[in-house]
Amino acid sequence: MIEIHNLTKCFEQIKAVDEVSVVIREKTVFGLIGTNGAGKSTVLRMIAGVIKPDEGTVAVDNMPVFDNVEAKKRLFFIADEPYFFANSNARTMEKYYSGIYEGFDREEFYRYLEKFNLDRNRKIGTFSKGMKKQLALLLGICAHTKYILCDETFDGLDPVMRQGIKSIFAKEMEERGLTPVIASHNLRELEDICDHVGLLHRGGVLLSRDLEDMKCNIQKVQCVFTSVDDELKALNGLEVLKKEQRGSLSTITVRSTREEVEARFATVDTIFYEVLPLSLEEIFISETEVVGYDIKKLILG
Amino acid sequence: MTSKSSFWGSCRENHKRRVWVWIVAVLSQLLAYGGMTMIYLSRIRGFREDGNFKTPEAFQQAMYQAARDALGFSDNLYGIVFLLAAIIGMQGFSYLFDRRKVDMYHSVPVSKNRRFAVVYVNGLVIYLVANLSGLIFGTLVSASQSAVNGEVLAEAGLAFAWNFFFFLVFYHLMILAVMLTGNRFVTIALFLMLALYEFLVNDMFNGLKSMFFDTYAAYFLQNEPKFSTIYDCTMNIWQIKNAPDAAAAAKIAMPLVAKWVGIAAVLLAAGWYAYKKRPSEIAGKAVAHRFLEPVLKVAAAIPAAFIVGRVMYDTSYQNETLLVGGLLAGGVILCAAMEVIYDFDIRSLFKHLLSDGIALAAIMVIFSVFKWDVFGYDNYIPAQNKVESIAISVDGYYDSYWDEDRQYIEKNQFEKENMFLTDASFVLALAETAKQADPEEMEESRSVYILYRLKSGAQKERCIQVDFEDPGTGELLNQIFSMDAYKTGVFPAMTDQKLLEGVNKIQYTNGPARTVIPVEEAGRLRDAWLKDMKEFDFTLVRQNRPCGVLLFQYKDYNQRQFIVYDSFENTIAALKDLEAYYPMELDPADIESVTVTCYHNELTQQDDEMDYGIQPRAVAETWDGGYTDYTVSETFYEEEQIAQILPHLYSNWVDAPWSRYKDLDDNYSVEVVFKRNSSYPYDRESYYFGYSIYAGQVPDFVAEATAYTGE
Repeated sequence: MIEIHNLTKCFEQIKAVDEVSVVIREKTVFGLIGTNGAGKSTVLRMIAGVIKPDEGTVAVDNMPVFDNVEAKKRLFFIADEPYFFANSNARTMEKYYSGIYEGFDREEFYRYLEKFNLDRNRKIGTFSKGMKKQLALLLGICAHTKYILCDETFDGLDPVMRQGIKSIFAKEMEERGLTPVIASHNLRELEDICDHVGLLHRGGVLLSRDLEDMKCNIQKVQCVFTSVDDELKALNGLEVLKKEQRGSLSTITVRSTREEVEARFATVDTIFYEVLPLSLEEIFISETEVVGYDIKKLILG
Repeated sequence: MTSKSSFWGSCRENHKRRVWVWIVAVLSQLLAYGGMTMIYLSRIRGFREDGNFKTPEAFQQAMYQAARDALGFSDNLYGIVFLLAAIIGMQGFSYLFDRRKVDMYHSVPVSKNRRFAVVYVNGLVIYLVANLSGLIFGTLVSASQSAVNGEVLAEAGLAFAWNFFFFLVFYHLMILAVMLTGNRFVTIALFLMLALYEFLVNDMFNGLKSMFFDTYAAYFLQNEPKFSTIYDCTMNIWQIKNAPDAAAAAKIAMPLVAKWVGIAAVLLAAGWYAYKKRPSEIAGKAVAHRFLEPVLKVAAAIPAAFIVGRVMYDTSYQNETLLVGGLLAGGVILCAAMEVIYDFDIRSLFKHLLSDGIALAAIMVIFSVFKWDVFGYDNYIPAQNKVESIAISVDGYYDSYWDEDRQYIEKNQFEKENMFLTDASFVLALAETAKQADPEEMEESRSVYILYRLKSGAQKERCIQVDFEDPGTGELLNQIFSMDAYKTGVFPAMTDQKLLEGVNKIQYTNGPARTVIPVEEAGRLRDAWLKDMKEFDFTLVRQNRPCGVLLFQYKDYNQRQFIVYDSFENTIAALKDLEAYYPMELDPADIESVTVTCYHNELTQQDDEMDYGIQPRAVAETWDGGYTDYTVSETFYEEEQIAQILPHLYSNWVDAPWSRYKDLDDNYSVEVVFKRNSSYPYDRESYYFGYSIYAGQVPDFVAEATAYTGE
């Protein structure tokens, strides 16, 4: 488990990370979402022990991480622009990392290279941006660390490759309890992979939830009421996050379980009602609008 | 750089990232040693082909010496070693300048300590292997030409160690510079600044003292950089190289090496501390810590401002307004430039006015302290009870000086090491007299350098101007000159314990006469001269000019001189006894001719004054602005005329220390030609001998014959 408590980091006069507290549980995929400049990379670099927080703590399995070799043995950090040695190829990088990480699986690495059609002898300098990210991910996966920290790593990967990496993540999570932490500015990119999402904005955590909890606790209902009284009766006691009206058709987002919503609407007279599934994007829009942010501007552009 | 492999495994891995440094280091050393050896040995072979060696042994010795020059102590290598230290130091830790590299290296499970140690040790290995490769290559080249012997190998070995410690200082300095900065450009600038900072500050203070303090001097105390390895090397390398034996070389080298090791250790500790405190996120920025920015800015602005100020002061013929303008302009420009460098943004010119203000205030405070002599530098005269001893150098005498190993040393060093006046009263009174005197009113102003050795252990130096024509000053100098402690610090012949060892030839000369005295008489002559020197004082040297000089010449070409005055009865008696004495005045019967040249300085001076507009217009209008040669020479052959001239002549060859400037007439020069058949023992290798005429003693017929007539 990675525990981040009141993490704060300033770069000169700019507060890049402001009292961030998050818990990353093992064997989950943690998505760290935020706009450019929200502080995602800074948080990841502090988790990786690259930079030292001004205030607060980062503990990896109860160990402080900064300049702590034991803690770092459990982490593999893939920066947004991963560095490879000048004139190196995949073999060079494998030799370097296999010398550093005790659990590095060389056979697995070369197997994955073939699977992803990456030439082990080709100079990495000639790789495309996506290929470099694939290579960095494969190195990270094969290092067999407990946590893998990916900073915008999926950005630039084509859907097939992304699916391939996700499959590997799933396999590694199942087999050895890998815990990926993925930072991205693109919410849609993480929708089908994350178990838990933390939303960063202006250095602070806007929210941090399990996706399943969020999906279960927010419901979107499309409905045509027969009267205003019925509408009031149906919504009475429910936390309405959003309501849109198009003619007689109401689209209402409420914080509640599906069962409770269906039970409530069953007692009032409606011409039509249907409880619809929410996308991650819609959930975020609803959640952040409640606290006064326009999520579309923040992360959807 | 691994956590699971050994330290040396980590080093091997790190070496793979430093291939180009390996290539540069090894190639530079192979070329330097190999190239120098080939060039030096080839030169000696060329000399041999030109027939410059009389014996095969001489040629062989020259070959050994050439090999020593190439492989041993050599200032040719310092530039390369300095550059290698900078390159190796910076390249090893340059990953800290790149965020992508920092992200990788600082996230992997390798401790900071291990990473530092690996990079540091590898830097040493690169230098040592490269240097050793070059040395071995150079030795093989020498050996192939039979130019290697034990001495060559011994010097090469010692120089290898010497160069390594030199490298170590700058290697550590570069590591510190890297740790305090965030990119290569600023690192190099800081490295150079730190390497040269003591020079800059020294130069600044020396310049200020010479500008504003009348009594400032660096005669006895040179105010040398204390921590500059570059200075140590340049000032000592030849002494070490030419030391008579290994023990003498070690005596010079060991204290320096010990100091360098201390400096290197401090720099490494500072570099290590800065490394531990260096935030990873400053990669690519200018300086590692914000608080360093104003510190470095102020530290750089002060000497820079004084460099600009001094340039303006010197080029404007000492205009103090321009000096102040230069100080302010230099300070402002440097501060602004530093801010631009810090932010890489031209708009940051005057971003931090507070630190700009502090820098300018510090500059003006320093300037004011010197300008108005706030601490009373010029008025300093220590209390007598605080003075342990004094060394004093009164302008007017020069001898040849060497140490107990017969190695040449400077006059000031000899005086400093041999003069200890424990009775300070006369020197202090002299300093007080000089303080009260007006230099403008002095008839014959001379510089006197005084080194006060205080009981506290401190040493202070001052330079005063004294008037040799002032009776009170003369009396004080009389007291000082008559002290044995003064004489032994001025005349090396009085203290030389090996004076009689290795005397090759003894001569007495009055200018033209060169009489050779048997070397067995050395002791007798020395004793006679020492007896006469008991009467030596300031009055003697002011009222008399030496009548000749006794010279002891040694096998190693060194020479000791004993000035002889007419009053030196014992010496002259001994010389007469040895039939070696000839008076200054010549016998007309020995002289073929006397040529007197008058330069008519008064006319030349008049022209100069017109040049500068000093001469009145009426005269200036008659002058055509061209150069006129007013020199008039006349040769006299008549014995009667020659007899009238000779009593007024003084040989140019005999130096007359502390004598009156006005004793001799600088408007005239005289050439005396001896008769070929004369029995006078003049130096037969010379055709004529130069003389001067005593002021006011030019015979009328000579003055008339050499008058300028305009033709």
